[in-house]
Amino acid sequence: MGTKVLIVDDEVEFATTLCERLGLRGYETRAICVAQDALPAVKSDPPDVILLDLKMPGKNGIEILMTVKNFAPEIEVILLTGHMSLDNKLEGIKLDAFDCILKPVDIKELTGKIDKAAEKSKLNRE
Amino acid sequence: MKIRDKLFLAFGFYIFLAVVLGFLAYKELQAIATRLVLVETANDISNNFLEVRRHEKNFLLFRDKDSLQELKKNLEKFKNNINAIGLEIVKEMGDDDYRMIKEAIIGYEYLTDRINESGSIDNMRSMARVIQSFAENLSKKEMEKISALLTNSRLLFLYAIFIILIVGGIINMKLAVGIARPLRLLEKRTREIAAGSFTEHVEVKGKDELTSLEVAFNEMEDRLRDAMQSLELAVKRLHQKQAQLVETEKLATMGKFAAGVAHEINNPLAIINEKAGLMKDILDMSEDSNYKEKFLGIIHSMLDNVNRCRTITHRILGFSRRMDITSSSFSLNETINEVLEFLERDIEYKNIHMGLQLAPDIPEIRSDKGQIQQVFLNIVKNAIDAVEAGGAIDISTTVKAEQAVVVSIKDNGPGIPEDVIKQIFEPFFTTKAKGKGTGLGLSITYGITRNLGGNIFVKSEVGKGTTFIVEMPVNSNTLAGE
Repeated sequence: MGTKVLIVDDEVEFATTLCERLGLRGYETRAICVAQDALPAVKSDPPDVILLDLKMPGKNGIEILMTVKNFAPEIEVILLTGHMSLDNKLEGIKLDAFDCILKPVDIKELTGKIDKAAEKSKLNRE
Repeated sequence: MKIRDKLFLAFGFYIFLAVVLGFLAYKELQAIATRLVLVETANDISNNFLEVRRHEKNFLLFRDKDSLQELKKNLEKFKNNINAIGLEIVKEMGDDDYRMIKEAIIGYEYLTDRINESGSIDNMRSMARVIQSFAENLSKKEMEKISALLTNSRLLFLYAIFIILIVGGIINMKLAVGIARPLRLLEKRTREIAAGSFTEHVEVKGKDELTSLEVAFNEMEDRLRDAMQSLELAVKRLHQKQAQLVETEKLATMGKFAAGVAHEINNPLAIINEKAGLMKDILDMSEDSNYKEKFLGIIHSMLDNVNRCRTITHRILGFSRRMDITSSSFSLNETINEVLEFLERDIEYKNIHMGLQLAPDIPEIRSDKGQIQQVFLNIVKNAIDAVEAGGAIDISTTVKAEQAVVVSIKDNGPGIPEDVIKQIFEPFFTTKAKGKGTGLGLSITYGITRNLGGNIFVKSEVGKGTTFIVEMPVNSNTLAGE
């Protein structure tokens, strides 16, 4: 069974395209483009790894990170964003995000990080 | 001598002169008064004898007793007067004359008692002529004497006036020159100093109040000059600080603007990246066709260029690939060695001679290691790009007053012209060929260094090389802030 990846990003084109590409690489991927829908999606079908944008209309990525980690600490979250300041990065690390990546990102680098995060998530669960 | 003493002395001299002159005048007037009494007596004597002669003549004419009696009475007066000024007569006419006249008077008296005897009258008259001429002589001499005295006094006063004029004039001139000249010089220097000229001191001469004034004046000039100098220095420093501040402010504003743009570009760039990536994925999986290779080439070029843009935006945002964002203590020597290890291939490839002079006892600094690494990576990379194959780069570390560690990176490349140096820290400024440099390396280096509380300077000479000097505080208060 492939790694379950949830992409949360308000950029529909980015989210869907990345979703398709990861799908091609054997990941079980879903894309959520509205911030408010993120938590219900996590609850209905908990993923191994979440790729989370920081700046979205409606809800801040950091808030989503906090709620997700509260709900299921074993899920690993990779912050993937075009807007990243050192403060965001610090906060993300404090809140136990797995990594912070600045867009655009090379697919190989990304899948490498997803795999590592998934491994850690599996360890968390055991 | 002090001016006060000089004035005292001058006035004392004048008073002394006035007293002496007054005393002399008094003495002179006293002598004249005494002389006047003598003149009067001499005149009386002369008149007495004229009376004697008048009565003698009357007696000889009328032979009356009254005339003889009057004659004797006047002769007695004459004798008394002669006796009264006997000493003066001895002085004026001599001892012999005095004795002779005494005898003549005795003779004359003797003959008047025997006036009726024959032959005595002729004797008597000749004797009377002798006495009369003597009396007249005496009177004349006394007159001459007093006249000489008056002439003397007149001369004395003339001399006195002359001496006072000469001596007083000299003293006044000396005093005036001695006081006015230094004052005039002081006035001149005051005006010069007011005009900002601190060239020379006033000459210090003598030992009076003006000397103290001159010494005090020179002291004041020194203090004033020192004050002016420190003021000028302070103003200059202020201007420098101001210019630095404006420059920092400008770079910060440009940096913020560039970061904003980078953020906005990242999202569409990510979409292009994914779309092109997806095309590549699909093509990779599809069967070979006429166009597959060509499309793959095009997509490859698109992804390459996305990567170029990514490099730019990531550098603008100062995004460190490392995750060590907390501050730690480390030695800059260590950092330099790590950076050189990282660039080992480039250094070998260009056969660059690396000269390392790392002070062994530098204190560890507390800062963001990842960002510091990026600073030196950028500078050393630039140096490697700048030098010719076989060139030299010298890196040294030193401690500045226990407060900061100074790292100097010196290359023997072509150097940077002066008009370019002003711009090298500005974002997007590059001298490299199109596509080779983003023009962000040094502006990020500058931004990081300043953010971490450090400082960065460049010294360069065209044809000789460039030196970058980075100063990092041992204890940074502004750590890793954005």
